[in-house]
Amino acid sequence: MSTQKIRTKEYLETNCYEESIKRTEYIFKQFDHVCVSFSGGKDSTAVLNIALEVARKQNKLPLHVLFFDEECIHPPTIEYVERIRQSPEINMDWYCLPFRHRNASSNEEPFWYTWDPDKKDLWVRDLPNDAITEHKMFRKEMAFQDFTQYIFPRSLGNVCCLTGIRTEESLRRYQVIARKKNDHFMNSHFEGASSTKRAFPIYDWDSKDVWIAVKKFGWDYNRTYDIYNQTRLYNRFLTQRVCPPFGEEPLRGLWIYSECFPELWHKMLNRVKGVNTAWRYANTELYSHADKKPEHLTYKQYLNILLDGWSDDYKNKVSDTINRYMRFHKKESKQPIPESQEHPVSGVSYKFLCKVAQRGDFKGRQKNILRRNATNTREKLKITQQEAKLLYS
Amino acid sequence: MKIKKQPLENIIWIERDKLKPNNYNPNKVAPPEMKLLKISILEDGWTQPIVINSDYSIVDGFHRWTCSADKKILEMTDGKVPVVMLREVDSNHKKMSTIRHNRARGTHAVLEMSNIVSDMVKEGLDGDEIMKRLQMEKEEVVRLLARNGIPKSDVFKDSEFSKAWNPA
Repeated sequence: MSTQKIRTKEYLETNCYEESIKRTEYIFKQFDHVCVSFSGGKDSTAVLNIALEVARKQNKLPLHVLFFDEECIHPPTIEYVERIRQSPEINMDWYCLPFRHRNASSNEEPFWYTWDPDKKDLWVRDLPNDAITEHKMFRKEMAFQDFTQYIFPRSLGNVCCLTGIRTEESLRRYQVIARKKNDHFMNSHFEGASSTKRAFPIYDWDSKDVWIAVKKFGWDYNRTYDIYNQTRLYNRFLTQRVCPPFGEEPLRGLWIYSECFPELWHKMLNRVKGVNTAWRYANTELYSHADKKPEHLTYKQYLNILLDGWSDDYKNKVSDTINRYMRFHKKESKQPIPESQEHPVSGVSYKFLCKVAQRGDFKGRQKNILRRNATNTREKLKITQQEAKLLYS
Repeated sequence: MKIKKQPLENIIWIERDKLKPNNYNPNKVAPPEMKLLKISILEDGWTQPIVINSDYSIVDGFHRWTCSADKKILEMTDGKVPVVMLREVDSNHKKMSTIRHNRARGTHAVLEMSNIVSDMVKEGLDGDEIMKRLQMEKEEVVRLLARNGIPKSDVFKDSEFSKAWNPA
């Protein structure tokens, strides 16, 4: 288990809608400038409308809204964002910048750039009117997180950016909220910008709450969800996501584009490499389940074949990552790396390394899994950490 | 003979321009598969007739019919396409016929595909030829082969030396 204590929940008398209004009122009073980071997804809808309600009351209209257009997005999402932009209560910055995004469909081209100026002929949509396509601090190699610190000029003073993160979505998100007692719905830093904070006024909502609010208050919303509900995603709120299509997880939902938006889909097929392959196989052994190796190979052998599949630039990167895990193992134990059962001290095995090699692990998240791996193995062997260190180091 | 009553007993060749699409076809074929269909007709010839209603609207084979506008395919048969006509039925029946033709087919299991493509390679086909004739992305060929233990570098060989250099 993680050494960090995870706080539990203390339920209040009020409901999540009332509380999120209070949080937002507090934020509007505390900061010189408040804006909403809007994606067009349903959680954004909740944050936007709550912020609007508070801004109206406090006479702080128009509300500043940021929209980062990721090019490959569902047509109803674009229509929805456009309707929001047209509202006189809203002042929207519509960014179309070439951010780097993961393309998990391809080992040859593992990243792609939205609105890539070098690939205008392949864009899946026309550039929207009045889009912001340049920024003096922006460079093409940047990921979104690298850029955010430059969005707000100093002249705005202290800025708070409201986002629709909800703890229901993942444990990571829960931990962000639960680790603080005061101002827990605010992040103490905004990726490097000291005068800017992020806040999560709807952190305690679940998906159902968003739809209750939409119905109760008649909020406009993204009609992509209506289309999702006509597919086998009916009522599966957590899998109904509005996000870039080529990442590790979203890849499994490429069929939604091909079934629901064929015109967009046909353009997506040319936009980045590997899309057609991922569409066919994203949910099979070719893209996941690297833990089920081909029968006639060992994991150690399969590892080399998986590494070989990457294009040269990335082969080095992924190999470096694998080497790092191997060095980590060496530091923890003198024993060789086991084939499939994760090592009880280091958590490493060739099976684990295969998973890393298949996915690339560009965010380094697999590292967090090692400790859990080791714990699982120790539990299987019925030994404590100390015993494991004595026996297996 | 019972066989005489089957639509296939009366395959006829007619001018492609006489046929017309139906107005309800839900089947969408993406560009890569359209290309594959063309290659299929060019390599193997016409193997299946287009199914039509008595008013010449297409029940099944809209995309084959679309491909038949291609000049090379047109020339293969002097502008004619093979058709079979269904008996006169009501409009719901027509729609159902289309849906049945579209949906009553399987999907390829991934591990079996991996085996087939690996066998092709073992028998000497190279990766580029597989890509071209099956309209597969390189990604697909590489991943199918990797699943069978065949590394990418065995099938897609770099044939160019790297650039020489002097110290700058």
